[in-house]
Amino acid sequence: MGRGVSAEEPPEGAREPAGGGAVRGGDASGAAGRGGSWEGRLDAPPDVWAVFLQARTRDPHIHVGDVHAPDAEMALLVAKENYTRRDPCVNLWVVRAGEIHATTEDAAEMFAPATDKSYRFGGSYRKQQQIYHSGWRLSHRDEDQ
Amino acid sequence: MSGTARAAADPRVDAAFREWLLRAADDELIIGHRHSEWTGFGPDIESDVALSSIAQEEIGHARAFYAQLAAGGGDADRLAFARAPAEYRHATLMERENDGWEWSIVRLVLYERYEAERLRLLSASGQEPAAGLARTLLREERYHALFADAWLTRLARGREEGHRKVQAALEAAWPEALGLFEETDADATLVAARIVDAPAAQRRRWDAAVRQVLEPCGLVIPSASPKEGGRRGRHTPEFDRLHDQMTEVWRSDPEARW
Repeated sequence: MGRGVSAEEPPEGAREPAGGGAVRGGDASGAAGRGGSWEGRLDAPPDVWAVFLQARTRDPHIHVGDVHAPDAEMALLVAKENYTRRDPCVNLWVVRAGEIHATTEDAAEMFAPATDKSYRFGGSYRKQQQIYHSGWRLSHRDEDQ
Repeated sequence: MSGTARAAADPRVDAAFREWLLRAADDELIIGHRHSEWTGFGPDIESDVALSSIAQEEIGHARAFYAQLAAGGGDADRLAFARAPAEYRHATLMERENDGWEWSIVRLVLYERYEAERLRLLSASGQEPAAGLARTLLREERYHALFADAWLTRLARGREEGHRKVQAALEAAWPEALGLFEETDADATLVAARIVDAPAAQRRRWDAAVRQVLEPCGLVIPSASPKEGGRRGRHTPEFDRLHDQMTEVWRSDPEARW
């Protein structure tokens, strides 16, 4: 990805396998939340790669799951067979799961509006709604089966 | 039998071309069967799924070739399952039992280069509809070669043990890989009819292609002579066992409709 190593990069040994996609309580700059950190790196072993699938050109890339692989090329090769066999695909991304920064579960309340902001949702924009829904369906397809 | 070759005007050429297609179908069916034996036993779930998927595709290719051979009255299932072992025309490399992941990967590398070469020949042969089928199948074979190369490179360039095992697998596979190019009368007929070029020329192109993968990994190309027989139906006891297992369900009720 060519991304620089950030200051809070944990030492290799500090990355322990842990429950799916838990966010490591970051020592990152913000420290916004009272008590816990509001963001951090996904706590994933270095051989776990997050797979993003684009179903059609101009569609967004959607996170469809993970693979284990020693490097990016192998991750793409196995992702192709593990995630594109039953669904259309024109393009794949893989990224080391441990490189993904995420908000913590504790921070969920900052997404909940205090006042009615439904005017911002843009639900009347039909195309946008379609994109959101198709993305949601794709990322939840395993639960549909 | 019409449909397989435009050169059908000459029955000798038609028969030779059918023989050539049968080799392709049998190679795909038997290597597909061997790959499918890794399902549930691969080194990790990701590669297990990937090789299983490759197995399905190879068997799908076999099915497509059998269907063309059966066009005009035959039965693809009977071609696949109702023949005696000596009637199969795959090279003996395909029937060898899986002897470790590195062996299956080495075989896949050697075979995929051969298969790509054969499909290119077929797509340029002018023999419709087989040529059209070959152009379509090439799309899937590209991924098979990428997967095979990626695994081979990582095994052979990793630790000393991996390198040694890959080299040993290569030594074991090489003579029978050369057996892919075994010549019969069918080849002479097809070369004379300018449908394909000589097996020696095919082998030179294959040799150059596999060297591009093997040599950068520090692997030594064995200098062994070809082990032949498969193209004439002379197979090993390993194929008898495979054949017995592969045809078991079909034999239980040959008249069943699937």
